[in-house]
Amino acid sequence: MSEKAFLGKLYNDGDVIVEEGSKSRTMYVIQSGKVKVVKKEGERETTLAFLGEGDVFGEMSLFDASPRSATIIAVGEARVLAIEHEGLLKKIKVDPTLAFNIIKQMSRRIRNLNSKLSTIFRTITDTNDKLKKFNPENIETIQKELQKLYDTFIQMDLHTH
Amino acid sequence: MIRTKELNLKNGSRIVVIGGGPAGAFFSIFASKLAQDLGRKLDITIYEKKIFDNQGALGCNMCAGVISESLVQSLALEDINLPSSVVQSCVDSYYFHTQNGNIKIKSSRIQQRGIATIFRGGGPKGNAGKDIQSFDEFLLHKAVEHGAKVKHIFIDKINLNDDKPVIYAGERLQNDCDLLVGASGVKANSGKIYEKLGIGYKIPSTIRATQSEIELGSDWIANKFGNSIHIFLLRIPGVKFVSVIPKGRFITVSLLGNEPNVEYIKMFLAHPVMKQMLPQGFKIPDKFCHCFPKINIKGAKNPFADRLVLVGDASSVRLYKDGIGSAYITSKAAAHTAILYGIGKQNFEKHYLPVCKNLDADNLFGKLLFSVNDFVSYTALLSKGYFRTIQQEQADLHKTTHHSDILWDMFTGSRFYKEIFIRTLNPRYILNLLFTITSTSLLDMLSIQPKK
Ligand SMILES: Cc1cc2nc3c(=O)[nH]c(=O)nc-3n(C[C@H](O)[C@H](O)[C@H](O)COP(=O)(O)OP(=O)(O)OC[C@H]3O[C@@H](n4cnc5c(N)ncnc54)[C@H](O)[C@@H]3O)c2cc1C
Repeated sequence: MSEKAFLGKLYNDGDVIVEEGSKSRTMYVIQSGKVKVVKKEGERETTLAFLGEGDVFGEMSLFDASPRSATIIAVGEARVLAIEHEGLLKKIKVDPTLAFNIIKQMSRRIRNLNSKLSTIFRTITDTNDKLKKFNPENIETIQKELQKLYDTFIQMDLHTH
Repeated sequence: MIRTKELNLKNGSRIVVIGGGPAGAFFSIFASKLAQDLGRKLDITIYEKKIFDNQGALGCNMCAGVISESLVQSLALEDINLPSSVVQSCVDSYYFHTQNGNIKIKSSRIQQRGIATIFRGGGPKGNAGKDIQSFDEFLLHKAVEHGAKVKHIFIDKINLNDDKPVIYAGERLQNDCDLLVGASGVKANSGKIYEKLGIGYKIPSTIRATQSEIELGSDWIANKFGNSIHIFLLRIPGVKFVSVIPKGRFITVSLLGNEPNVEYIKMFLAHPVMKQMLPQGFKIPDKFCHCFPKINIKGAKNPFADRLVLVGDASSVRLYKDGIGSAYITSKAAAHTAILYGIGKQNFEKHYLPVCKNLDADNLFGKLLFSVNDFVSYTALLSKGYFRTIQQEQADLHKTTHHSDILWDMFTGSRFYKEIFIRTLNPRYILNLLFTITSTSLLDMLSIQPKK
């Protein structure tokens, strides 16, 4: 990526852009490259989503002022433009349509989340049914189902920061 | 009560936009987007006389080419991210060269390279490389992606006498439309075609600036000018204000003087302060790209009628700042009025005019702020004290940066002038400034150097 192209801030692979739990209301728009959304649970780190050019993140803190609910890490070189929250809120007050794109991205993520959740519920119900008909000979099938359930959780394209 | 007939845009309505600069492109993008959200499709044609890929004046809409921090952010939220082929340099600071020394100002809010510098056309004449993509072409292409058509034709006459507006291009073209959008700016003389309509439209008041592009090489520029826009307040006779904008291999010198005059550029380049910024033995080329474009300094009167609306420079613009950002504001407001409320005179009067009036009213505060700034820069005592205050603030951006923020917002156009003006009235900061000015002059009288 050429220096000239560097609008916003350039992050290198592995750089933390937003830290889970931190307090800030800045929102970001990815100009180029990729970032991952990571949730830490004790020692375990789960990647919730990958985001790319044009995607926004940090929008929830913009609206609800809560601490960051996930960590955002650059994957390779990523160029990210920070949107100053006070200026943005003032602009949205005058021109609410400026928030359309953010709302569109949020609703796309909610749809995605709904569809993933429905897959999870279906898998849980199936597994539950199988457990009800528990038979020691079925143990391998049940283990496979549980693994599938776990994988589904892990691969969920949840975007909840 | 007389009820005027309702004029609305329907599915398939024809819109003609005269001018494919930022205002014309923004209007087309936002009208198409909103119509699409409402399940409608519009037939939009933009008439633009220039081909922006051309080098020199033929392709250029002549401006300093600074895309403000505020506009860069708004565009990113509109999903219009400026690509590196368009962005020539990314700026994070303003560097002031004054009689009292130099000072660099950064934003205390977000530290990033958030201001873009661009060329409006294909770059200065004779630009050998092909590394420059025109900003105006990029935006026009976005409008095409949203469904607009572009025709490179000069429109020389319009008519509103019949039921619908009609545009003419000599003998070649005669077309009617449901809505006519005047986005032809102030740089050409196209404003007259709207004045002749007898709708009360009055071309905005303008002044001419002097501007030039000079090639110094990207390494030299990166070293000497860094990521800053340089403002020179040097008291050169006849010159109010000079800004130098880094753009890759080039710098743009944008100058406001008593009159448009290329000699001012020469005087500026020969000034000892500027000379230090130029390579040793630098000679002003015999021929260099320069122009005297008009700046809108007072909004138009009656920029609308039934089935007609004027946007961008042809209507209202923020004073000396962020003209492209103003084109974004007025074009979007006009597009939304046309789609959501209608295209009658009363619709524009109710929903579009307030936006123009807001810009015009804000400029009154802008005028006041710039006069105070001029007064401070030209009054040695005040200027020294002010300079010192800013210096102290910039030494630690985590502490109070009230005065720096005011300068930053004034010069970057990040906030409306009214808001900045109200901040200048804060008594605590006025006292603080007075204290620094008094102490600086006392130190001066006693010939003591203040601690850095
Ligand atoms: C010296 C100077 C420096 C400036 N610096 C900056 C800056 O750094 N940042 C900033 O944001 N703003 C700046 N501005 C202001 C900025 O240039 C304008 O506000 C902006 O260009 C307005 O956009 P517009 O689309 O309304 O008009 P324009 O950019 O002027 O575009 C009008 C278009 O209409 C076309 N046209 C005109 N008449 C006809 C016709 N009859 N038929 C067909 N086509 C026609 C023209 O070819 C042109 O392409 C500066 C202005 C000047 C003069």
